[in-house]
Amino acid sequence: MANRNREQGGRGQAAPAVTSKYAPWPEKTSVMNTHVKRLDGPDKVAGRAKYSYDINRPGMIYGKIVRSPYPHARIVSIDTSAAEKAPGVKATLSWKEAGAQVMYQGDPVAAVAADTEERANDAARLVRVRYEPLPHLTTVEQAMAADAPAVFPGGNTKQANTDETGDLDAGFKAAAHVVEQTYSTHVITHVCLETHGCVCEWEGDKLTAWVSTQAVHGTKDGFATGLKIPASNVRVITQYMGGGFGSKFGPDAQGLICAKLAQQAKLPVKLMLDRKEEHLDTGNRPSATAHIRAGVDANGMLTAFDGQSWGTGGAGAGSNFPLPYIYQFPNRRRTHKDVYINAGQQRAMRAPGHPQGCFLTEILMDELADQVKMDPVAFRIQNAPPDRPNAKWRAYLPEAARLFGWDKRHPTGDASPGPVKTGFGCSVHQWGGGGRGTQAHVDIANDGSVVVKCGTQDLGTGTRTVVAIVAAETLGLPVSAVKPEIGDTQYPFSGGSGGSTQTASVSPAIRNAAGAALDQLFEKVAPTLGVQPADLVAENARIHVKGNASKGVSWKDACKLLGTQPISADGKWEDGLSSTGTSGVQFTEVTVDIETGIVRVKRILTMQDCGLVVDRLTAESQVYGGIVGSLNFALYEDRILDRNTGQMVNPNMEFYLLAGMSDIPQIDVHLVDSPEQRARGVIGIGEPPTVSTSAAIANAVRNATGVTIRSLPLHPHRILQALEQQKAGGTL
Amino acid sequence: MPPKDETPEKPERFSVSRRDFLKTAGVGSLATAVTAATAVEVEAQAGPRVVGPGDVPVSLMVNGKKIDLKIEPRVTLLDALRMRADLTGNKRVCDRGTCGACTMIIDGRTAYSCSTLAIEVQGKQIRTVDGLATSAGLHPVQQAFCDKDALMCGFCTPGFVVASVALLEKHPTPTPEQAHRLLDGNICRCGTFTRIMEAVTTAKVVTRG
Repeated sequence: MANRNREQGGRGQAAPAVTSKYAPWPEKTSVMNTHVKRLDGPDKVAGRAKYSYDINRPGMIYGKIVRSPYPHARIVSIDTSAAEKAPGVKATLSWKEAGAQVMYQGDPVAAVAADTEERANDAARLVRVRYEPLPHLTTVEQAMAADAPAVFPGGNTKQANTDETGDLDAGFKAAAHVVEQTYSTHVITHVCLETHGCVCEWEGDKLTAWVSTQAVHGTKDGFATGLKIPASNVRVITQYMGGGFGSKFGPDAQGLICAKLAQQAKLPVKLMLDRKEEHLDTGNRPSATAHIRAGVDANGMLTAFDGQSWGTGGAGAGSNFPLPYIYQFPNRRRTHKDVYINAGQQRAMRAPGHPQGCFLTEILMDELADQVKMDPVAFRIQNAPPDRPNAKWRAYLPEAARLFGWDKRHPTGDASPGPVKTGFGCSVHQWGGGGRGTQAHVDIANDGSVVVKCGTQDLGTGTRTVVAIVAAETLGLPVSAVKPEIGDTQYPFSGGSGGSTQTASVSPAIRNAAGAALDQLFEKVAPTLGVQPADLVAENARIHVKGNASKGVSWKDACKLLGTQPISADGKWEDGLSSTGTSGVQFTEVTVDIETGIVRVKRILTMQDCGLVVDRLTAESQVYGGIVGSLNFALYEDRILDRNTGQMVNPNMEFYLLAGMSDIPQIDVHLVDSPEQRARGVIGIGEPPTVSTSAAIANAVRNATGVTIRSLPLHPHRILQALEQQKAGGTL
Repeated sequence: MPPKDETPEKPERFSVSRRDFLKTAGVGSLATAVTAATAVEVEAQAGPRVVGPGDVPVSLMVNGKKIDLKIEPRVTLLDALRMRADLTGNKRVCDRGTCGACTMIIDGRTAYSCSTLAIEVQGKQIRTVDGLATSAGLHPVQQAFCDKDALMCGFCTPGFVVASVALLEKHPTPTPEQAHRLLDGNICRCGTFTRIMEAVTTAKVVTRG
């Protein structure tokens, strides 16, 4: 997946050489690190913002995909003749050929386009596909069974290399206590509110596609490759998009199908997936299970970790994740096995791998702490890696514990009377983030107007606003004086919004482009003031001599000097303005009704860093959002497949549960602002906050009930089941 | 499914029987729906007049303006406005009355427009997110959403804005319980809930619209 390889950055590499002429960031920023309102907020709240789903082109028709109802089958024949004759139909195509196999429910097979969406849906039902059903695997257990049918070429499982460090036997000999248990997390889907899809329009051999994507340039390349046309013939536009969470990096089958239908019909085609298709065929977070044996010595120091893990990323996709997570096990061994089932393939999902590895490790940590009768926070502090700017758990844990009131935590098992039990839990996390190749362009006109162009996109994180903030900071202007233009492959290259790299990639590029533009302006202004360009600074919408604010000109007057020669400058991401590695801790308070099994989260407190914050307002929103996402993972979401038929039984939003307003606890966000963090430059915050909330909630449930639930989700019936098993002398 | 309103009166939009709904929606008889290209009107032997399944004239009063459409009776209010009138402010997300992104105000009550047939709300006053801002600027609720950053990707936002307007028109200074209850019919995937509550509780007083 697009950003899977970047997740492990930031474990304390040496800082790269500074190459940016405009590094470092100012010690005291005027716009950055303040609360700036989202520039596109007014358009979004007014309904004026046009998402791909909202693009209505003249003459536009609607596409609909015909998908496999079977989890595994061979296509015998595809007959589109009846569909072709249906009212309003303008194009039909077979996406797969007779003889090919479908590997999951929802695998695309054929498609139609008609003048209205209702007629496209009708026509899709008239496409006659004959299937020969084949044996399928729906659960990990079915796929791993000794007598499982051979469904996937090369085997139903794939064993990864064993990762081993230290001396495992010596580690377990040194252990005073050993915990041996199995832990697991489940599959969830991205549930982007704007489903995947696009509008495609051809003009001759040139394609314009309005795509709901978190990578306009990557999607352009995907169209070029998939349609076998030159990349220069493709333009991708994404002015607004309704959520991606890691699942929207390319055109996908629906994008290529949409383009082909448009080519055939010679009309613009809109093809947005429906909610069921979105659940089935646009990615998911893989499951994770690990059988773990871990040791701790009498002083509460971890000694050994031996874990065998497995998980499923669906039909032929991987499921690996970091394990053990963060803590220092001096002697450790880990093996992982990918298990394939007949379900849609996984895609990167907000902090891919980390929520799984974090949950599996953090529940174990509370169990180990209990073995040595240590407070979970103190136990974590002494087993966390040493303090570094990108690894601050030893500093954040005691500080956040104090703010949270951790000293009021009772021992595991709320002994108070009544059915509603209260508990506290904590968890830690990390993420890489950081910047990489991005280009930007800045134009300054003689009327003083500033336009910044960058081929990035705003998937809701506030990138459009970030672009304007960085330019404003560099040019000494208010944010309102800068016009950011993004979301179009006609603008300079920027990568996908993934791996929490976007802000750290875009900001340095804008800084360098704006810096270069300002240098050109200084060249024009300096002679009029009788000074050298290097003597000038830009601040408060003025250009003046350093240390002498009165000797200068207004921004407007400075730009008048440009005459007929506007400034046009380029910049790119360079080292010195961004870095990688973030750390954070989370604390939760929950109540558990032991009669109903219902868990309510009362409070969540997080301490989180991300280097120099560009916009505190939108960065804090990212933290709120990450926490809510993880709360959903812990308590509500679950992709449920019928084990016999391989069908998803909740491909909607009423049985696929997500939190609503009444489910949201008090959330206290402490976004670290320190000289140490500011000096690191820009990093990125999209993913780290969503890693550890679910583990902290599960540990709080354990503290409340005295029962260790080692798997997600924490649905009421599973809580009750665990309580019953505890009465019977065991645990789930 | 959480309630869209506090008082569960019998919703007016279900004033036709399920049997009639199936007839008008054309899903009761797929063959009829896909083969009849022209509008037909069939007088049922007993019971109400059946229209469709082809295009029929439908007249809607949206944001104070009359919109005349020729659509199949099965077309929802949301789809009629989004696909036939280019009123794309309200979004289609779950398309089955769960997430609230399509929330509109019909004769003063919030409704899921994805689960409301356009043909059934003729003659009613329909308010969408597109009609809230005026030449004087954003509606106070919209302004509060911007001020508090009560939005991220923004796809749930139109529904939340409309639901919040309805809430504040009913309870100008809502208690947290009232606000929770009237906003529980909407889902935000980005997780902006905390800030939506801040926006709703700080929005300048709204006059009944």
